[in-house]
Amino acid sequence: MTIAVAALGSATGHVDQLADVRLAHVSKRFGRRTALSDVGFEVGRGTVHGLLGPNGAGKTTLLRLLLGLSAPDQGDLQVLGRRPYGNPAQALAGVAGFVEAPAFYPYLSAQRNLDFLAGLDGSGSSVAVDEALHQVGLAERARDKVAGFSTGMKQRLGLAAALLRDPQLLILDEPTNGLDPEGMRELQALIASLAAQGRTVLLSSHDMTEIEHACSDVTILAAGSVRFTGSLAQLRAQAAEPSHALSCADNVLAAELASSMQLPAALEREELLVRASIERLDELVLALAHRGIAVRQLVRRDTALEELFLRLTSAGST
Amino acid sequence: MTSLVDPPGPVPPPRPTAADSRLRSVGVRYVLVWELEKLLAQWRTRTAALLCLLGPAAFVIAVKLTGTVPADTLFGRWINDSGIATPLVVLGFAAAWGFPALIAVVAGDLFSAEDHYDTWKTILTRSQGRWSFFAGKVVAAFSYVIAIVVLLAASSIAAGLLLLGNRPLIGLSGNVIPIGSAIGRAALSWLSVLPSCLAFAAIAVLLSVLSRSSLTAIGSTVALGLTLQFAGLVDGINPVIRLLPGSGLLAWHGLFAQPAFTEPLWTGVAVAAAWVFGCLGLAWHSFSRRDIAGSSR
Repeated sequence: MTIAVAALGSATGHVDQLADVRLAHVSKRFGRRTALSDVGFEVGRGTVHGLLGPNGAGKTTLLRLLLGLSAPDQGDLQVLGRRPYGNPAQALAGVAGFVEAPAFYPYLSAQRNLDFLAGLDGSGSSVAVDEALHQVGLAERARDKVAGFSTGMKQRLGLAAALLRDPQLLILDEPTNGLDPEGMRELQALIASLAAQGRTVLLSSHDMTEIEHACSDVTILAAGSVRFTGSLAQLRAQAAEPSHALSCADNVLAAELASSMQLPAALEREELLVRASIERLDELVLALAHRGIAVRQLVRRDTALEELFLRLTSAGST
Repeated sequence: MTSLVDPPGPVPPPRPTAADSRLRSVGVRYVLVWELEKLLAQWRTRTAALLCLLGPAAFVIAVKLTGTVPADTLFGRWINDSGIATPLVVLGFAAAWGFPALIAVVAGDLFSAEDHYDTWKTILTRSQGRWSFFAGKVVAAFSYVIAIVVLLAASSIAAGLLLLGNRPLIGLSGNVIPIGSAIGRAALSWLSVLPSCLAFAAIAVLLSVLSRSSLTAIGSTVALGLTLQFAGLVDGINPVIRLLPGSGLLAWHGLFAQPAFTEPLWTGVAVAAAWVFGCLGLAWHSFSRRDIAGSSR
């Protein structure tokens, strides 16, 4: 199944002049394995764009290309109007981020690691380092060796290292990995504040809910190719109604009533599964009450986007 | 899938500015200083330095305490007769067995350590090109090699002169070499092995870049050094031996003959230079084109 939504004017061949990331026909192979195949999409300036896909979809390979760590076999890509491969040091001005788990020298402190990276950027300002550590909540652990850091703390340090460059474009690979719920909320708030400053954020995830919370646009990758690219609103328009599980005083009568209202319904064990929008579900609940059928429990089974994501990324979808 | 966007127009990379050039030259120096700082913080570097500093004195004390001399080594039988024999015995031993290991333990680790810690992706996405890292790390490796050779030379000359005296040295042709001249020739001998040591460092760097494994790079360099040492014992392959990276390690012998001859020294320098440029050229070729594809690939 191909759902190629007209994103960023692509249907008309128009290229958004304010796109901070552009890819066209990008392919990358590792030996016999195709990691990316004819990938193309754009990330608009000032947007938070999610790169969504299951493990092995090619997200990290794509981010490596954008950060100039490897070159595409075919196609073209640009970040902030420049090709990152060939001369990444020059082309990556204004770009920062990390791929996979952020990596640092474990035998050095967080502060010393950032000092070194700041020096590589030509600044070496200890104030900037302190500020970045404070921004990600690591100020109190600044002098601790990275070897003792948890995965979540390394994620935070990775973000601090990226913020040191004061980037226009921030590229983050599964940044909430290893973070506790509070850390995830803080990170999402930080990303929102960066976007509010006009920065562009491209973040990858395999979690639809995370993308829904943080992003305005999304590109879905599966098996190395783009299955969808566009805004979340456009994606929602493609989605089926969400699924709900009802437990009623009489599930059989409730199922008959739902069917009479043209709502897809199915009995499963002790539950009645109904696929409906919130408005239609309200109508069903009121109708059940009108017929004297008590609703004892009502639970949303999956979100429409989750269901669509699974459908788009399932093996048979091409 | 159909293309979603038109191919971007060809946007050339931004033209280098004066600030870019300044950042690049600062980059090599910055990486060099950083690598040296890291080296000084590592136990292996400190151990190597301590070994070079105290090893010769320990050797002399052992000779004095046991009353035996290493008679099967060059100048070994005269070790008690002249203090300046000590640095030559130490040099002979280091050339045969010590240098490849001392060099490889650092030069074979500088590049592959970044693979071990997966830090290439961290440092190569900053404002420095790959050349800054390559040049900075190579210069750091060479600085380390020069430092340990100078340290070992100075400590062995000092240990010999202070503990065994400053009598004249008997040369390889039975000629008597006054102490002043012997010290100069000993210093020159140590200087003469530097190009070969740098060649071993270049080999270790190449193996470190290619294998991405410190263990492989260090082990292979040491194994190569041992193989070359044993190859020197095989008759009839002298023309080949002269083209190997360790050929200059024994070229100093001619300085203690009567008359002195220096042709092997210059041959050794030329051969070592070829190995240095060849290995570093290959290493840069590989490093500059490498996909930083992560540990999973």
